[in-house]
Amino acid sequence: MRVPTMSDVIPQGMSHRLAARDGEVVDREAMLRFSFGGRLYTAFRGDTIAAALTAAGVSTFSRSFKYHRPRGLLCCSGHCPNCLVQIGDEPNVRACQRRVEEGMTVSPQNAWPSLERDALSLSGLLARFMPVGFYYKTFMRPRRLWPLFEAFLRRAAGLGRVDERSPHGAFDKQYLHADVAVVGGGPAGLQAARRAAAAGARVLLCDENQEVGGHLRFGGDPTPLAGARALLEEAGDIQVYTDTAVTGWYRDHWLAAVRGNRLFKIRAGAVVFATGAYERPLVFDNNDLPGVMLAGGVARLLQLYGVVPGKRAVVATANDDGWQVAEALVAAGVELAAVVDERGVESGTAATGLDHVPQYHGHVVAAAVGSGRVRSVEIVPLAGDRVDPGQRQTLPCDLLVTSGGWTAAADLAYMAGGKSRHDEATGETRLDDLPDGIFLAGRVNGRYSADVEAEDGRLAGAAAAAHAGYGEGPSSTAASQVETRAQQQPRRTSDCPPASGKSAKRFVCYCEDVTEVDVTTAIAEGFDSVELLKRYSTISMGPCQGKMCAANALGLCARTQGQTVAETGRTTSRPPVTPLTLGALAGQVMEPVQVTPLHQWHLDRGAAMMVAGLWLRPEHYGDPTAEVLAVRQRVGLIDVSTLGKIKLTGPGVPALLDRLYVNGWRKLGIGRVRYGVMCNDEGVILDDGVCARVREEEWYMSTTSSGAGSVHQWMEWWIQSGWGEGVQLSDVTDQHAAFNLTGPRARDVLQKLTERDLANDKLPYMRTRTATVAGAPSRLLRIGFTGELSFEIHTPASYGLQVWEALMEAGGEFGLVPFGVEAQRVLRLEKAHIIVGQDTDAMSDPLSADMDWAVKLDKADFLGQRELLRIHEKGRRQRLVGFTREGGDVVPEEGLQIVERREERFEAVGWVTSCRFSPVLQKVIGLCWLPDEVAGRQGETIRIHRNGRLVEAQIHHGPFYDPDGSRLKT
Amino acid sequence: MLVIECPHCGPRNASEFRFGGEYNPRPAEPMQSGEEEWTRYLYLRKNRMGMQSEWWYHNAGCGTWFLAERHTRTSQIGRTYIWSPQARGDAGTDNE
Repeated sequence: MRVPTMSDVIPQGMSHRLAARDGEVVDREAMLRFSFGGRLYTAFRGDTIAAALTAAGVSTFSRSFKYHRPRGLLCCSGHCPNCLVQIGDEPNVRACQRRVEEGMTVSPQNAWPSLERDALSLSGLLARFMPVGFYYKTFMRPRRLWPLFEAFLRRAAGLGRVDERSPHGAFDKQYLHADVAVVGGGPAGLQAARRAAAAGARVLLCDENQEVGGHLRFGGDPTPLAGARALLEEAGDIQVYTDTAVTGWYRDHWLAAVRGNRLFKIRAGAVVFATGAYERPLVFDNNDLPGVMLAGGVARLLQLYGVVPGKRAVVATANDDGWQVAEALVAAGVELAAVVDERGVESGTAATGLDHVPQYHGHVVAAAVGSGRVRSVEIVPLAGDRVDPGQRQTLPCDLLVTSGGWTAAADLAYMAGGKSRHDEATGETRLDDLPDGIFLAGRVNGRYSADVEAEDGRLAGAAAAAHAGYGEGPSSTAASQVETRAQQQPRRTSDCPPASGKSAKRFVCYCEDVTEVDVTTAIAEGFDSVELLKRYSTISMGPCQGKMCAANALGLCARTQGQTVAETGRTTSRPPVTPLTLGALAGQVMEPVQVTPLHQWHLDRGAAMMVAGLWLRPEHYGDPTAEVLAVRQRVGLIDVSTLGKIKLTGPGVPALLDRLYVNGWRKLGIGRVRYGVMCNDEGVILDDGVCARVREEEWYMSTTSSGAGSVHQWMEWWIQSGWGEGVQLSDVTDQHAAFNLTGPRARDVLQKLTERDLANDKLPYMRTRTATVAGAPSRLLRIGFTGELSFEIHTPASYGLQVWEALMEAGGEFGLVPFGVEAQRVLRLEKAHIIVGQDTDAMSDPLSADMDWAVKLDKADFLGQRELLRIHEKGRRQRLVGFTREGGDVVPEEGLQIVERREERFEAVGWVTSCRFSPVLQKVIGLCWLPDEVAGRQGETIRIHRNGRLVEAQIHHGPFYDPDGSRLKT
Repeated sequence: MLVIECPHCGPRNASEFRFGGEYNPRPAEPMQSGEEEWTRYLYLRKNRMGMQSEWWYHNAGCGTWFLAERHTRTSQIGRTYIWSPQARGDAGTDNE
């Protein structure tokens, strides 16, 4: 006998707390304070929110989803939706799992203005408008009232409240590796882990509860629990993760698990699912009243927290598990009004200490009665497999404990490919066809006594270890012995005899407020397959994901249609098994960005940065129009370090380029540069850029900024599948900074910084030379996207800032300005140069894009040749051409349609791909796709549909600015 | 998550790889290829249920393009190997 101490004194406000007991997980010396719905409560350290509130006599935890009925604790195991609460800005927290912290602010959900007086709880009124499938039936007409309906529904429905101002929390992810992962640390899981570790395997054990032990923790007998936990001490390499819920199984034994704000990604060689079983609620009138609880939940509250959720209990059971809880309640000093067992008189006789308790064999609960919480239950006798409604008896109580049987918690095993097999004799579900490396142990495998569960765990642990390459695995005789012992277990599952009379308040699905009538109505309306029934009634689609409702819904579905449960089938299990936060999935916010070596310089100059793929680039430095004019009149400098850069070496390069580009490359001399378009075999443009032959066997290619990665992979594919002879390729995009110095004074600026003679005859258009620029080894390419005299300067990234600053300084006297992407877009558009991906799409070929000059059809085999020849012969259907519009009042945006009047109506015949106001030409210029026959009419008017009006423009062929390109070549 | 055996780096998570489509060899001489063969190469995929040879690229790894034989229903992966004129994809390329 223990001597009472201070810790045995029950503080005020804990009316439902018992004296300290062995095995409890609370520290009675440490008192915490927290609030719920604006009221202050106390808790012991270790209490869950649910335990502390129950200790204080709170019975209503939430309001239901549709009808706003009061709901109290049901499973107390983290499975049902009834105790979801909001903690600060965190919605949908399971109060039965989350432990109290000092000062915590807890709010009920889905209740307004308060949990006790919820304005939307007039359930009778609401139920009329929310029959099963109401999503598809009501609130549809009249359509003009939808805004009103929506406002109402938004207030009525939903769970927690998302605070959009909440900062992203500290979430992260971690990889874990194991030879054998064991999910569930009950008697089976512990034995599986120990046996696998003894065989030499690295073992990872996850349990969603705060401690391992499973149902031994609240079975009332501390001896087997201590024994089971000791297993972990003596065993080999076992990592134990408690408070860790495994939420999904994925290919090749990859498990996702969540602990707090951390997502684990677990790769295992083999997996043991010892995930236990879900307790089935019973279905009767008002079975959702606060005070109706599952036996397992009551046992948890009692044994772990010393809390009893009522003063006078009735136990309704279909198995001996209910009698065990009855014993525990009596032993704890709770008044037990009756035990109601749907089985015959001989059942439950092993229970002790219940002599004085009225026992009703062959009876079931017909209804829970009470307003806001249970005040009594009505029981009826069974006559065969029907109830006898004429003999109702009323038993006053404030707690109804139900023990209706178990359903294998096999969600993960189903995800892994396991198939369910319904055992009509036991009413339980077993799994077949488990894939390689998946093993079941314990209750999920249909073993329901602690010693058989433990033996099953040892078998599964040995088998899993053997699968992962450790040990021999179990003998087949051992396996069949366990199976034989499991077959001798008594039936535990309630037969759920059909209740009498019609009632709208027999809840099958607590999450979505789906009643028995809803299910039968949906079936009568034709939604008779389980997958359809699920989607139509939303049963099993709420937070519990079917843990509470699936077994009863399937049973009801089968009974209504005169089928067996096996014939009815089951819905597909998908992750996550346990609700988890989006934050856990997102992890840390890590959006990779690429910046050029000049990034800080751009920021210092106040550049407006824009996102271009992964890159950040200056869009402009304040005035893009002034930047355009500076390039045309004086000189500008743009950071083009983002261009893809690929170095090719070897004797096979010309042959490869000839196959990848649509123009000719075999004759390109050393020091020359050529523009090239890459197509696929459909003739569609993939990318464009220039390529320079810098030595006999060395080439330097540039790609578009966005195409760098895909071009590299594209080239590698052809190289590695047969076209790679004599070619080495390396992506040097990040190794080099690149700038384009462009404008009439570009040569004057650059010549100040290099010894290399830049005269037009020494470095002509489309040539390349090496040079030392401002002390940096550089490559100069005379090319020109902007249409002005241009030098592209490539220099090692580490020299980038030095060269750029030297250029800026040298250019001061010539009026040099930095310019950004926006000015470059205008400059290139004035030259009618395309941007791949903006002016072209997945249907664009170079002939239709008006780039015949860049295609050499009569060379040897190249990608796209056959299709381009076909287009060449049959004629292009569409053509990319320019258009102009005088004045700058309207600039038709990219993507607008070009329409033509055909007979009585306008038809879309083309679309705008680029359009800007040209500050040099003082008019609007653009590019558009038009039918070939329309596009050929130079100067003719086209009509662009913009905001319901037609904007006129004139077709224009060729560059808008400097059409013969003389400025490039000076 | 699927584990794929890179012939160069060994077994790695599928997220390191880029899928390159089913093995679809280019006709050796496109200009001599018949209309049907060419159309099949450009636009038609077998999309078979069962083992097929397909391209994978070790994007976040060594940069190798290789062939994998994968069951399209179960994603079970058989052989993975580097292409060579002697070791082309064969599973699923028969004319059924």
